[in-house]
Amino acid sequence: MPSYRCVMTAVIVIVALLVVATALGLVWKWTQGRVRRTDGSTLIRAADLPSGTRLARGATLVQFSTEVCAPCVPTRAILGQLASEHAGVTHVDLDITHRPDLASRFNILQTPTTLIVDRKGVVRARIGGAPRRDSLSTELTRILEAA
Amino acid sequence: MSTTTKPTLAAKAGQKGIDPRSPRFGAGITGVLLLVVIGLNLGLASPVPSIVLFALITALFAWGAFAGVQRHPYGALYRALVRPRLAPPTELEDPVPPTFAQGVGFVITLVGLVLGLAGVPLAIVVAASFAFVAAFLNSVFAYCLGCQIYLLLVRAGVLGRSRGAAAA
Repeated sequence: MPSYRCVMTAVIVIVALLVVATALGLVWKWTQGRVRRTDGSTLIRAADLPSGTRLARGATLVQFSTEVCAPCVPTRAILGQLASEHAGVTHVDLDITHRPDLASRFNILQTPTTLIVDRKGVVRARIGGAPRRDSLSTELTRILEAA
Repeated sequence: MSTTTKPTLAAKAGQKGIDPRSPRFGAGITGVLLLVVIGLNLGLASPVPSIVLFALITALFAWGAFAGVQRHPYGALYRALVRPRLAPPTELEDPVPPTFAQGVGFVITLVGLVLGLAGVPLAIVVAASFAFVAAFLNSVFAYCLGCQIYLLLVRAGVLGRSRGAAAA
């Protein structure tokens, strides 16, 4: 027969795991898709973008993806749609599997990460995870109007 | 979203996308089984039942990682029992990320299993706990640990240096 003490230990460990995992999940969920403004000290150079693409005259949505990234796919759709709704905005998707230098330089800790880059190449805001459509659209309008 | 839009086939040409809810359903089963492993290991005097179940979970991760997540038994279970009761998926997902995640699960559980068999105390409980947290976050919050680990490996220079290396 299992001892009372062993069973209690097992129950406590299982409950603790459930609590910790739920807390981690809630914190992670809270951080996802939030638009964070940056101090404007980071620049994107033409050489960072894939050949044939250039910075848009309004703003460029630069998405960092990898091949093994499930949320990158719906993000692509959201950003593509936002680009088509705002004049002068384009969307560029970079697969950092082949560009680890960019991952380090822009400190990409998760994919997708999206940077809102103004027409001069200054990174104005950063979104980790699948973006929330409305807050991204609001921020984009603000950046376009300020320019 | 209008219902007339076609599902986006995220998978590459010639490859069929999977219902994104299927891996999350599988991760739910895996998470429950991992809690059972922890309960058996800590609650019983003999470690044998927990080791047997943990070995089975490790083998299932290997199945998903090497045969592809589309051929995983939990996927078949999902299609037979759960899928008919749900609305059609609004979009399909590339099977590469969840297959990679199965590989991550396989590595974590295999390390725990080997150390556990070698007699390291609590190795099974620790490995099962890590795997549980990942499976729980995947199932409940759609968090993708595989995505994160892949990125870290790219940044560490282990993966994806040259073009085409990651195509396999």
